[in-house]
Amino acid sequence: MQLFLRLLTLSFLFLCILPASTEHTSNWAVLVSTSRFWFNYRHLANVLSLYRTVKRLGIPDSQIILMLPDDMACNPRNAFPGTVYSNADRAVDLYGDNIEVDYRGYEVTVENFIRLLTDRLDEDVPHSKRLGSDAGSNVLVYMTGHGGDQFLKFQDAEEIGAWDLADAFGQMWEKKRYHELLFMIDTCQANTMYTHFYSPNIVATGSSELDQSSYSHHADNDVGVAVIDRWTYYVLEFLETQVTSANSKLTLGDLFDSYDESKIHSQPGVRWDLFPGGEKEGRLRTLVDFFGNVQNVEVENANATDPGSLQEDLIEITRLVEKWRKRDQEYLTTRSDASNQSSSGTSQSNTESQTLSSYFSQRKNVGPAKMDGENCWQKRLVGVSVLGACAAAWFAGSILGRT
Amino acid sequence: MSSKTSTQRVPPPEKPETTRTRFKVIAAFWAVIIFLGLPIWWKTTSIYRAHLPFQEMVDWADAKSCRPVFPLEIQIAAPSVPDLEAQLLLRTTQHTLDDLNEFSAHHLRLKLAEDGDNTGDIREEVHGKPDTALTVRLVPQDNLPIPRSELNLETTQLDVFYSPNQSPIPSLSNSPLSTFIAGELQRLFSEEKATIAHILSNGHTQLSENISRRLRRSLKYADTYHLAFSLFTPGPAPSSWEVQEAIEGYLSPLLEAFSPISNFTVDTQVQLYATFSPTAPLPEFDESQSAWTLKQEDLSAFVNAAEWPLSPSIGSGPTINFLLYVPDPSQSPMVVKENTATSWIIPQWGGVFLLNPSLSNENPSNPPHLSKDSLRPAFMTFSHQLLTLLGTPTTPTSLPLRLQTLIRIRAATLLLSASSTMGSLARLTESLPSIPIPATVAASVSTTLSHLSAACTHLREGRFSAALDNARVAETEAERSFFEKSMVGQVYFPDEHKVAVYLPLLGPIGVPLVVGLLKEIKRIIKGLKGQ
Repeated sequence: MQLFLRLLTLSFLFLCILPASTEHTSNWAVLVSTSRFWFNYRHLANVLSLYRTVKRLGIPDSQIILMLPDDMACNPRNAFPGTVYSNADRAVDLYGDNIEVDYRGYEVTVENFIRLLTDRLDEDVPHSKRLGSDAGSNVLVYMTGHGGDQFLKFQDAEEIGAWDLADAFGQMWEKKRYHELLFMIDTCQANTMYTHFYSPNIVATGSSELDQSSYSHHADNDVGVAVIDRWTYYVLEFLETQVTSANSKLTLGDLFDSYDESKIHSQPGVRWDLFPGGEKEGRLRTLVDFFGNVQNVEVENANATDPGSLQEDLIEITRLVEKWRKRDQEYLTTRSDASNQSSSGTSQSNTESQTLSSYFSQRKNVGPAKMDGENCWQKRLVGVSVLGACAAAWFAGSILGRT
Repeated sequence: MSSKTSTQRVPPPEKPETTRTRFKVIAAFWAVIIFLGLPIWWKTTSIYRAHLPFQEMVDWADAKSCRPVFPLEIQIAAPSVPDLEAQLLLRTTQHTLDDLNEFSAHHLRLKLAEDGDNTGDIREEVHGKPDTALTVRLVPQDNLPIPRSELNLETTQLDVFYSPNQSPIPSLSNSPLSTFIAGELQRLFSEEKATIAHILSNGHTQLSENISRRLRRSLKYADTYHLAFSLFTPGPAPSSWEVQEAIEGYLSPLLEAFSPISNFTVDTQVQLYATFSPTAPLPEFDESQSAWTLKQEDLSAFVNAAEWPLSPSIGSGPTINFLLYVPDPSQSPMVVKENTATSWIIPQWGGVFLLNPSLSNENPSNPPHLSKDSLRPAFMTFSHQLLTLLGTPTTPTSLPLRLQTLIRIRAATLLLSASSTMGSLARLTESLPSIPIPATVAASVSTTLSHLSAACTHLREGRFSAALDNARVAETEAERSFFEKSMVGQVYFPDEHKVAVYLPLLGPIGVPLVVGLLKEIKRIIKGLKGQ
């Protein structure tokens, strides 16, 4: 009996805690491939496969940041132009006709990646290239490329250290830019990349231990290169075959339990200690918490009459609209009265059309800005004085040199 | 040994002239290194860090600098009551109110109105006078057993009807009328009080389900929202709509009413042949309702996020999407299965409205053009959805009162968020020594702090619109300082990397210079000893 009671209270407590802590209001995904060149085809295919999966589970393009450092679809060596495949059976064209790459080519740099995470971007950078997450957002960060002990190479030219990544996440946490974060990385010695993380609410997982390589899964002989990495392949296999809809109840624990070292050929790692409640709590998070998009749609009951309901609001809005119309008319009639006494008998329809025309006339068309704002004489003066100074220096030099 | 050296040819002794030249050369080299090289190296490798008032910033974040209070001024207009009695009524009501109030930061202050017709407008000008939150008008009415109240829906006025013999009797401290007024006021502002208590405690107080749901739905505050109205239809018709007239007619009054709080821009689009996503569950025909129905749980898949062009990349600031969906004639009318509703809200994103035009029986096709009148239900619903998405509280039924409450709630949120950003920035600069702090950040920080304290003062004195204005500036500046573009931490270099960079550069130059210097010093010491 006591045991039963305890169980009851425990489950009750559980019910109390869970909804409060799992609550997030939006989902974001940052998918990054960091390597260039044709022989790294598989890294772009990794990222594109994951992009397809999160999109299938409901994250809209506006909340996915996709970074592709090279364009494999249009590479001259691609035997299947305009397509990218992650499997030799070539069943699914990952490039498709609906893909939004946010950072491409040489835009994929360490600096841009850090700027993206910390949102230290120029004001004119469009929304689609920004990570607009807030304190209620669950963020998925997936990275793939060539790495080593505590670094990941970007574009064959620079590298991001595990410290930089940890600091970037630290700043995100400090500015409340995520609620929970799932970090996934598929590269050689991947698990070293998340050793320096220090901000809370992060679950990190990587494909291989220190001093281990992360291998590719298989090559497509017609494409001519390996098309996907092993760890990503098996993660995707799980996501594609088990997580079939956005209502799936499978958890992170299920995904991590599916890791099979004999298939992956390296030891994948998971880091739980930053997560409140540790492994026990973290394993219960559903996969769609990170790979799907939360959308608790609220249907408006047309018959409800409690405060703030549709009907109640409609009454108030109608009242406001009526009041506004009346005020407009009064204003117009007083104005026309003042300007022309005889026109006081204008019909109502006339007034209405006047209201409309006054609205339209308020609208201003913005023309192109003129470029002659600069003071050209000032510039000329500066140029002349610089030239003069140079000439003077030359003269002085030649005169002094002669003596 | 010595005999051997004597036989060896010795170089001629150095002339003192050459020694002097060599000394000059070495001195010149070292002078260049010390006076030119070192300062340049120091200057180019050091990181500029402007001074920030850390303590002050942390104090704001820890809510030590300001304790936000919300004194609401409520005027009591009692033209029919003699002055002395009105004073007494005011005092007893105030007393009852103070007894009822549990949350001290938010309290109501009663005041007698000077002249009767002071109906509060939501866009009240600030003249150093506190905003009047509500006017209570006492109206005597005969034959009323108990007092009765009526909230005026167009203004911020509460009419209280009472029978004249209930007027406070001087001997009683707790007359039924004052108890009644206090109770009414308490009830009117209970939701606002709960919300503000929730915000001020950083979300640690429990909220009723209703309020927390509202907070979850509403968007984060921004000073400009983009409203995007889209007409989607799976077929070729309707291909035009009188959207401009509809917005002017049905929506702009609301936007005007919101103008003290936020600005809005409006965009519209028409998308024909917009299909559902291939994985979305299709609507089913329900015989009993004789309508095509969508299950409520499937509504989240209704918006085809992958293919419908609802991208939010319009300027800065959040976009609120409003979708008007006209179903295909073969699937019309379309409703939600559970409650036959035709509209729903997607929290923090926007709203959807299903418009089912009436179809003629012989040739079912959608009308090619939607007139202003046919758009009326849709745009009224959008207005309601906008109110909800912007976080307008639900309870006092009068819209002006709700908007005033929203001003106070927003002011509190912005004040707290700007303060916490200050704290974040202070902690960030202390924890990351390699991050540069440009002077613009210091300027932004000081602007933020001054506006924060101004907002706090305005709040204390009950001028809430002014407080919101200041808090808005503070928030913008705080965000700007935190997200300053040049404050990206330099890429981390471990110490061995630094050695690897400096050694090949400095090694070949450094060795001859150091050896030359040592030799010269040795010679000078020898010379000194010889003297």
